[in-house]
Amino acid sequence: MNPRTAVLLLVAAAALGCAARGRPFEEVKPVPPGHSVIYVYRPYSFFGSAIAPTVRCGSQSAAIRPGAYHAFVVPAGERISCYVETETADAVDFDGGPQIQYLRERIGLGLIVGRPQLNPIDADQAQSEIQTCCVEQP
Amino acid sequence: MRFSRSAIASAIAALAVGFCAGCAATAQSLGGARPLSAHPLPFKGRLAMGDPDQLPPAVAMSLAANSRIGFMYREELRHEEHHSPTILSAVNPLIYFGYPMGEYTVTAFASLSILDGDQIVGEYTAQSRVTRSYTIYSQPTHRDLDAEAREAVREEIDEKLYADQGRIIAAIAGTE
Repeated sequence: MNPRTAVLLLVAAAALGCAARGRPFEEVKPVPPGHSVIYVYRPYSFFGSAIAPTVRCGSQSAAIRPGAYHAFVVPAGERISCYVETETADAVDFDGGPQIQYLRERIGLGLIVGRPQLNPIDADQAQSEIQTCCVEQP
Repeated sequence: MRFSRSAIASAIAALAVGFCAGCAATAQSLGGARPLSAHPLPFKGRLAMGDPDQLPPAVAMSLAANSRIGFMYREELRHEEHHSPTILSAVNPLIYFGYPMGEYTVTAFASLSILDGDQIVGEYTAQSRVTRSYTIYSQPTHRDLDAEAREAVREEIDEKLYADQGRIIAAIAGTE
């Protein structure tokens, strides 16, 4: 194997090693009575793939790796805040509303470390994007 | 390499524009609402639909559980976002002088219906659009933008309600 091929293989392996691996997307079905589901998903991007900041929604938290998602099952009708932070923070509040909500996590450019963003996404768009994400494996 | 004074002045001006653009935030209320001091309406109503913690101030101050007048209030938010490709941002020197890396837009829609029994005596709608760019030095949260957009539509609903309260009073009196 020539050195150039070896380097390319190593880079590819390193990049893939950062992506989450697990079962494909599974909808929470049925949603438990009196509860809502907030799906937080992070489509794979090489940029920022080395970090997985903890996302908190209500009293629950999950570190979501690139290419993964997490379903937060939260009490319905309550004000729920989702929050993520590295060198800057982003937060989104949900006041009841639809039973299923979607947030897309994105890591943007930062001065020292990537900055997480939680973007509320319409159900139609989110349902197609989240199919590329897999269940976060511990 | 030598630069003329005008070239240096142009470069400084361009950087200053980039710096200021990085701080840009715009809020647009389509109904042209202006800030006003909220006060209760001359009539009371019960909340037939809506979240008691998420109401226009005038409505929130005019609630009475056993009134025959009903308020139905609804708010909806729509989010848009635009991001420059991260790799391009990383190599763009203007980014480090505060040039925007992207922007968030929140559009809020609100509607208020006032019912007297089964009859609708007033209907009001409002729309507000808030856009804010983010830079490597500052990044707003979606919570802040949502709050700003919600506040703008509530203010607009209040203003329309105050302007129309005389007609509402007459309509309510006419059904008694």
